[in-house]
Amino acid sequence: MNVKFLNPFVDAAYEVLAKETGTEIQRGELSLEKNHYVSDDVTVIIALVGAVEGNVFYSMSQETAIRLASRMMSEKLIDFDSLAQSGIAELGNVITGRASMKLSEAGFEATISPPSLILGKGATISTLDFPRIIVPLNTSEGSFMIHLALRQGLRTGLKTSQLQVPPSPQGL
Amino acid sequence: MNVEILKPFVEGAAEVLEFEIKTTVEKGNLTLQKSALTTDDVTVLLNLVGEVYGAVLYCLSETIALKMVSRILEQEFTEFDSMAQSGIAELGNVITGKAIVKLFNAGYRVDISPPTVITGKAVKISTLDFSRIVVPIKTDLGMMEIHLAVRENKQGQLSSSDDFIPLISQKAS
Repeated sequence: MNVKFLNPFVDAAYEVLAKETGTEIQRGELSLEKNHYVSDDVTVIIALVGAVEGNVFYSMSQETAIRLASRMMSEKLIDFDSLAQSGIAELGNVITGRASMKLSEAGFEATISPPSLILGKGATISTLDFPRIIVPLNTSEGSFMIHLALRQGLRTGLKTSQLQVPPSPQGL
Repeated sequence: MNVEILKPFVEGAAEVLEFEIKTTVEKGNLTLQKSALTTDDVTVLLNLVGEVYGAVLYCLSETIALKMVSRILEQEFTEFDSMAQSGIAELGNVITGKAIVKLFNAGYRVDISPPTVITGKAVKISTLDFSRIVVPIKTDLGMMEIHLAVRENKQGQLSSSDDFIPLISQKAS
């Protein structure tokens, strides 16, 4: 995976999490994982389609999820109920949206999908032949991991207006 | 949800399964689910973006997944290893791909994301505020469910003034 794709996500996560928690975010060591991912309590899955394509996961423990969701919703949440789930999905959505804006500025247009949430520890989630880069972030509410299974899409990102108009066919 | 959006998936599944697994395909009764999905053993998740957007999930038990993959790849699979996972993901990918072509013919420009395979029983998958239409698909090898948690966006997330260049001036319809 291209480093060009990595930084927009890390920067976006830093910005969003720092703003939501009001504290400094620290990044741990990056790792590359080829095997499937064994899920933590809460995982948000968002897909990208376009000049960059693949899947992004945001994973964390239930406790961290409740605390982060409480920050997102500006309300003290106790259980990881549907309100908290919305909050975490929205967090994933905001980070990915911000990252896709940065990717767009770098010349990689991509559309992001709505988020899905996987709840339950110990599920295996496979991104098949896309290896994942894992970025662990430490926030004041706990550990937050970003998993990036992205590659350059077949679409070059050229808009239709940038394509050359072919010459008219001969003999017609 | 629009039946125009549903039909391509049902037809796509029927065509692909009849061809790959050489089975008869029967569609069961549709249901609408609003709460999180509790998984069977194997789930393939694909996302759609564009004029139809959201998530498509293919859910089946490990036994049935192994039978299907064994028949498609013409090789006996006893374990749901990474090759079997690829096989099932590809099945979901091909069905969705066929559905996308039919959606295009019905006037919807849609794009598909790479698949993820989720294994593990009783894991919950939430599509949040997207309700799911669940289509049971019965085959000779067993049942598979297709969950469609999608919405229409007729303006199109993909289209923008840059992408559409009218070559022929069109009268307002």
